[in-house]
Amino acid sequence: MSGRPAATAPRPYRFPDFERRQLDNGLGVWLVPLPDRELVSVQLVADAGAASEDEARAGVAALTAHLLVTGTQQLDAAAFAETTERLGIEVSSESSWDSARAGFTALGDKLDAGLALLADMIRSPRLDEREFDRLKAERLNDILQARADPGRLADERFLAQVYADGAPYGRLSAGSPETVEPLTVGDVRAHHAATVAPDVTSIVIAGAIDPSAAMAAVEARFGDWTGTGRGHRSIEATQRGGRRIVVVDRPGSVQSELRIGHLGIERANPRYFGALVMAALLGGVFGSRLNRRLREELGYTYGARCSFDPRRSPGPFMANAPVQTEVTVDAIRELLAQLERIRAEAPSSAELAEVRDFLVGVFPLRFETTAGIAAALEPLAVYGLADDYWHTYRGQIEAVDEAMVHSTAQELVRPDEALIVLTGDASAVRDELEQSGMGTVEVVPAG
Amino acid sequence: MPQVPIERHTLDNGLRVILSRDPRAPLVAVNLWYDVGSKHEKPGRTGFAHLFEHMMFQGSANVEKGAHFSLVQAAGGTLNASTWLDRTNYFETLPGHELELALWLEADRMASLLPAMTQEKLDNQRDVVKNERRWSVDNQPYGDWDERMQALVYPDDHPYHHPTIGSMEDLSAASLDDVGEFFATYYAPNNAVLTIAGDFETDAALELVKRHFAPIPRNADLPPPPDMTVDALIGRDVRETVPDQVPLPRVYLAHRSPPFGTDAADALDVAADILGAGRASRLYASLVREQRLAQDASVFVFPIVGGAAMFAAWVTARPGVTPEALEAATLAEIDRLTTEGPSDDDLERVRNLHAAHAAGALERISERADRLSMYACLFDEPERINTEVSRYAAVDASRVRSALAESVRADNRVTLTYVPAEAAT
Repeated sequence: MSGRPAATAPRPYRFPDFERRQLDNGLGVWLVPLPDRELVSVQLVADAGAASEDEARAGVAALTAHLLVTGTQQLDAAAFAETTERLGIEVSSESSWDSARAGFTALGDKLDAGLALLADMIRSPRLDEREFDRLKAERLNDILQARADPGRLADERFLAQVYADGAPYGRLSAGSPETVEPLTVGDVRAHHAATVAPDVTSIVIAGAIDPSAAMAAVEARFGDWTGTGRGHRSIEATQRGGRRIVVVDRPGSVQSELRIGHLGIERANPRYFGALVMAALLGGVFGSRLNRRLREELGYTYGARCSFDPRRSPGPFMANAPVQTEVTVDAIRELLAQLERIRAEAPSSAELAEVRDFLVGVFPLRFETTAGIAAALEPLAVYGLADDYWHTYRGQIEAVDEAMVHSTAQELVRPDEALIVLTGDASAVRDELEQSGMGTVEVVPAG
Repeated sequence: MPQVPIERHTLDNGLRVILSRDPRAPLVAVNLWYDVGSKHEKPGRTGFAHLFEHMMFQGSANVEKGAHFSLVQAAGGTLNASTWLDRTNYFETLPGHELELALWLEADRMASLLPAMTQEKLDNQRDVVKNERRWSVDNQPYGDWDERMQALVYPDDHPYHHPTIGSMEDLSAASLDDVGEFFATYYAPNNAVLTIAGDFETDAALELVKRHFAPIPRNADLPPPPDMTVDALIGRDVRETVPDQVPLPRVYLAHRSPPFGTDAADALDVAADILGAGRASRLYASLVREQRLAQDASVFVFPIVGGAAMFAAWVTARPGVTPEALEAATLAEIDRLTTEGPSDDDLERVRNLHAAHAAGALERISERADRLSMYACLFDEPERINTEVSRYAAVDASRVRSALAESVRADNRVTLTYVPAEAAT
C-alpha cells in the first residue's frame, strides 16, 4: 500500500458528565464519577492567587500555598508529610495569578483519609515561622537559580519589559526578590485568613467515587467551615509599547533565548477560540509555521513556538525559540516575518483544517487521567465558564474559519509593537542587531 | 491492582507484537522499541543513534518530509520518539479508528526509509540536534552532569562511557552512508517490538499488523550485542570539580549498580525512594527541612541493563553552605540507612507511593504500551508490567541494607561538584 490508509468509523467521545453542587457555606462541589477508574483526583481551587494579594505583599500567595503543606495544628511538617505519604498521597499546593490550588491523586480507597487531611490543611494550617523562614529562603534561592537559566531569565525579563512600570503582571506571580524579602509569617497568616474561605473555593473530585458518598464526605469535612474570602482585585494590564530590542547579556552563551511579543488577551475575550486556533497554527503544534520554518527548514533551533497566556486581565502573547548565537539576527527576522505573514493573508483551508482537526481530535486524549479531568473543571470554577463548556468545546473550535483566523491575527498579533528580549552573548550579537534596523538596542546585565 | 492484559505474537520476520486491549476510551497507542541505542554507536559516531531517530521523521518512500507529524496530528493524535543508552522508541497515541494510519507510517519507515534520505535533510537535522545539545547541555546550568558522570563511572571503552546526545565533532562527522548502514543494521523487524494498547479489536489489529509489517524482510545478520562487561565496582573514590555559571554549588554522586531488572536493582529503587522521594524522604527531611543545608535533593537509579547501571543522587547547597558540608551530610544519611536499614514506616510509605504512581502511570495507554515494549525488548518478558508493584513491595529491610552495602560505598563512588565559576578561581 502506498497511500494513507482510510480511517474506520470513529467511536464517539463525550466529556464525562459531572454533578455540580454547593454547600450552604458557599463551597462549590464538582463530582465526576468515573466508575471504571482505580484512582481519584481531588483539587481544591480558591480565589486566593496572586490577584488576591496586596500589591505591597507580592509573592505572599505563592508562599502561602507552599507553606500550607508544612502541616496542620495537629501535625507538624514532618508528621504531615509522613502521614500523607504513608497513604501513597503527595499533596500539592501552588498558586498562579488567578487561583490557588491544592489537591492530590490517590487510590480510590484513600479518598476519605486524604480528604480529611486536605481539609485540616486548608482549615487549620500550621503556618509556623520556622517553616516559613525555610520556604522563603528556598523561594529566594529558586529565583537565583532561575536567573542562571537562560530560558527562565528570558521569560522573567520579557514580562518586566513588556508591561508598563509597576504593572503587577510585569513580574512573576510568585513575586520578585524585592517583594519576597520583606514578607513575614504574619503576612502569610493574614493572606490565608483573608482569602481562603468556602464562598470563594470549589472542590473537584474525579474518579473512582460514589457521588453520594463523596458528597457526604465533603459535607463532613467542609460543611461547618465558615467565613468569606475577599476575592481578587482588578489588575490593570498596560504595556510599555514600541518596537525595542533588549539584550540580557550572558557572556559565553552558545545560544540566544529569544522572546518576542506584546500584550495578549484576557480569558473572557470573545476572540478566545480564534486566538487559540490561530496560535496553534502559528506556533502551537510541531508542524506550525514557526517550527516548520525555524527548525525544519533552517535548523536554527530545537523548537520555536508561540502562545497566549489568558488571565482575568490580558496576559502576554509571546513567541520563543532558543537559537544558536550565530543566527540570532536572522532568526528574529524570520520570527517577525511569520508574525507579519499571518496578518497579511488568511491561511489556506487545508492548513487550518489540519490544526483544527488536531485540536478537535486530540480532545479525548486530554482527559485520559482522573487528574486531567479534575484539572479541566478548574477553569470553569475560576472563570465562571458554562457547565457545558467542555461539551461544546469542539464545536467552538470547529467554528473557527479562515476569515476568523485572519481577523484574529490582524487584531491580536502586532509585530510593529513587538518587544524583542533575548538572553545571550551581547558581544557576539550587538553590532549586527544595531545594524539590522529592527529596533533600538539596549544591553542590560544578567545579574 | 488490575492486571494489564497481554497477548503476544511473533511474525515470521521476527517482529514481536504485543496487544493490550482496553476499550475504556476511544484511543489507541502504538509503540515501537528498536533494540538500538547510543551503546551501539561506533567510535567517532557518538550521538548518531539519536540523530538517526530525527531522520526517521524526515519521510520515507511513501511519506513526505513533515508528513509523519502532520498526518498523525490532523488525525487527532500525539507522537514523538526518544533515544537513550539502550534503545530507541517511537510512539503515537491517536483515536482508535486511526490505528491503521500509525501502523502504516511506522511500517513505511521501517521498510523504506532510505529512498527518502537526502544530504539536505541530514544537514538540517544535524543542525537541529546540535541546537538540541546547545539548549539542553551546553547552555544549561549543570547541563553536562550526566555526560561527565557517565565518563567517570564507566571505563573509556565501555558503551555507556559517552552520552546519548553525542559530541559536536561526531555529529559533524555523520554522513548519509552512516544513515544507510545504521538503518540496514538495526532497523529490522527482528530487532524491534511493536505494542498496541487501547481500543481495538484484536483480530482486526493483528491482521493490520501483518498486512503492513509482514512484508518487511528480517536482517539475517543482526550484529551480536555490544560487550557491556564491566567490573561491579569502580574500585576507587573518583572526584571532579566543575566551575560553571551557577549560583549554588551542587554535588552529584554516582555508583555502579546492578543492572535494571535484577533483584538488587529493585532493592536500590526502594532505597532511592526512601532517601529521595517525597517530603518525608530521608534527604528532604534531614538536609532540606531540618538542617537546612540543601535547596533540594534527588535520588534515582538509571534503568539500564548493560553490565552496570547507576545509582545516583544530587543535592543543591543553600547559599553559604560548602559543598564539603553538604556532601558529608548526604553521605551520613546514606550511611545511616545502610547501617540501620529502613523502618517499617519507611517501607510502608514508599510502597504506597510506588503503588499510587504505578496506577497513575498506567492510566495512560501510551505509558502502558511503552512499558510493555520495554519489558519485551529488554527481557523478552512483557509480563513484568504486572509484577512491578509486587516486586517492589517484596523488597524488605535486609535487601535494602545489603544492596546499599554492596554498591553505595566509597570505593565505588564518583563525586562531581559544581561550584560557581567566580568562586573556583
